[in-house]
Formats: sequence, structure tokens, C-alpha cells
Amino acid sequence: MHEMAIVDSLFKIINAKVKEHQIKKVVKVKLKVGEMTAVEPMTLTACFEVYAQNTVVEGAELVIERIPLQGKCRECANVFRVYNYNFQCPQCESRSIETVAGRELYIENLEVEE
Amino acid sequence: MEIKVLRNIMKRNEDLATVNRELFDRYGILAINLMSSPGAGKTTILERTIAKLKDELKIGVIEGDLMTTKDAERIHRYGVPVVQINTEGGCHLDANMVNRAMQELEIENLELVIIENVGNLVCPSAFDLGDDLKVVVISVPEGDDKPLKYPVMFREAKACILNKIDLLPYSNFNVDNFTEDVLSLNPNIEIFQMSASSGEGIDEWCLWLKREWERKRQRRR
Ligand SMILES: Nc1nc2c(ncn2[C@@H]2O[C@H](COP(=O)(O)OP(=O)(O)OP(=O)(O)O)[C@@H](O)[C@H]2O)c(=O)[nH]1
Ligand SMILES: [Mg+2]
Ligand SMILES: [Zn+2]
Repeated sequence: MHEMAIVDSLFKIINAKVKEHQIKKVVKVKLKVGEMTAVEPMTLTACFEVYAQNTVVEGAELVIERIPLQGKCRECANVFRVYNYNFQCPQCESRSIETVAGRELYIENLEVEE
Repeated sequence: MEIKVLRNIMKRNEDLATVNRELFDRYGILAINLMSSPGAGKTTILERTIAKLKDELKIGVIEGDLMTTKDAERIHRYGVPVVQINTEGGCHLDANMVNRAMQELEIENLELVIIENVGNLVCPSAFDLGDDLKVVVISVPEGDDKPLKYPVMFREAKACILNKIDLLPYSNFNVDNFTEDVLSLNPNIEIFQMSASSGEGIDEWCLWLKREWERKRQRRR
């Protein structure tokens, strides 16, 4: 359950923002999570709810936007969606593929009550 | 009202991993992050590796374990420095734990540091430790479908050890399918077939380790 550790880091960032902007209530937290991260959204949400208890984040909605896995071919520069983790260029069949999207794990924004 | 944040959640760990990496680099140490599901054979591989290489390289070990000191005791018998990290239920090591263990190990006297991560094929892949290379171990009884089920680990590893090949005759594990899946995820990965209990395949693996160590030394000069 490393999602707990991830949520712990997430709340360090949220708490800093809460302090900085003197936020009274957070209503929504938006994350971007790549397809190829070892993060399970249901578990992440459950941990989030535990951490939010008795804070200004309690009751906030956690929105997780999944980012599809994208590769870029090192041979022909083709950028394409990687399906089933098959890292092969559909254009030139090269297997030398750089991951350009799908490894993200970041917090995009907070929606707060004014 | 919306407040933009745009922060990498893993940044705290990644910054610490960078600190560790710089330390390893400063002393010219090759650092290996050894990962697998529970019981795939990490500690047995370590024991064999130490027995084979300890006269050539100054080896230190960091042992991640949920609760016990059993693995560290096994390594201790080989007379190399070992530090135990108990994660107390935590399913992975992180850069901070490794940083503390590095201080305890007195790494400045070492040339090769091997970190045995907690037995788990998912969670450890989310936490960079500052290692030079990640090695994933998979054992025959686990089945040949694991690479595509745990893609992150196989995509990022520099080498993959297929362990317990002595059990192939008793299993439907298809080495060709396995190899094909691993290479589709990671075409440059080095695959070693091994039976850590009998010692088969240990020589090739140790040769490769030694070469990676020399490569790191040269980069430093
Ligand atoms: N048949 C066979 N058994 C092996 C081999 N390598 C290890 N084992 C056995 O597998 C079991 C687990 O080995 P360990 O080396 O403790 O595995 P580990 O990955 O360190 O386990 P954890 O640290 O608990 O995750 C032990 O009983 C070993 O003797 C092998 O090549 N063949
Ligand atoms: Mg072990
Ligand atoms: Zn191409």
C-alpha cells in the first residue's frame, strides 16, 4: 500500500497551499496520473479520505485524470499511443521507444471555497 | 476558486534519490536496486553473488524487510557489512530510508552496494532510491505472464534474472514467451537465466555486474 506514502506527500503539498492561501475549505483536488504508474485509483482515493479527515480537505472530491501511455520513436520520431505495453513503433517497427507520457504523478490544482 | 499547483507528488522522494545518487557517484560506488515478488530468490542470489565477488569488490548490502532481520543475518554470515531496514509493514523502500542506511553502512569504504528491496513487484517501482541500476528477479513458479502484469518494473530494469530454472521441467513456464514479453517492454534489458540454489547462471551474472562496475569507474575518471 504505497498509495499511503503517495498521499502523505500529496498532503504535504496541499497543506503548504492551504497555509499560503489561508484556505478555509477545499472542495476538489485534481491529480494527473499516468497509465504506467504503479498507482491504483481506488486505493489512492481511500487513502485520500483517511488523510482528509478532520482537516479543511474533509469531504473534498478527488479527481484523478488518467494520462495515456505515449511513446516516441527514436528512429523516425513518430509519437504514438502505446497499447498493452507494446513498445514498438507502428510506423517503422523500431523497438527503440522513449516514453513521453504516461509516467506522470502530479497535482494539477485545488478548488477551494472563497 | 481554483488554485493552480502543478507539483510532482513524488518530488520529495526524487530529490532525496538525487542526493543518494550523488553520494554513490562521489565514491564511485555502483548501487543496485534488487526487486522481486516475495520469495523469488533475492537473498539467495545475493549470497551467491557475495561468495563469488567479495574478494574482488568491497560489497555492502542494504536489506529491506517488512518485519524481520532474517535476510540481514543470512548476509552477515558472509562477512560483508549489512544494514537492515525494517519498513514495519511498508511495501517498499524509499530514498530517505536508503539515505539513513547509507550513513550506517559507511559507504565511503565500499565499491558495490546492493539494496534488496521489499518483496513486491508493484510498489517499489514508484520510488527511486538513487541507485545506478534496477534489477528485477522473477522465478519460474510465478508464471511467464508477469512482465505484462507488472510492466513498470520490467520497463525500468537494466537486467532481469529469471530464477529457479531448475523448476522448469515441473512447470508450464514458457521461456520464449517470457523473453518476448520482456523484450517488447524493454529491448535493451539483459536477461539472465539462473538457479541460485544450484549456482547455475551465477557466473554470467557476476561477470556482467563486474563489467557494470568497471563502466561506472571509468565514467568517474
Ligand atoms: N528451486 C529453487 N529454489 C530456490 C532458488 N533460489 C531460491 N530458492 C528458494 O526460494 C525460497 C526463497 O528464497 P529467498 O532467497 O529467501 O527469496 P527472497 O526473494 O529473498 O524472499 P523475500 O526477501 O522474503 O522476498 C528459499 O526457500 C530458497 O531456498 C532456485 O534457484 N531454485
Ligand atoms: Mg530476501
Ligand atoms: Zn519509428
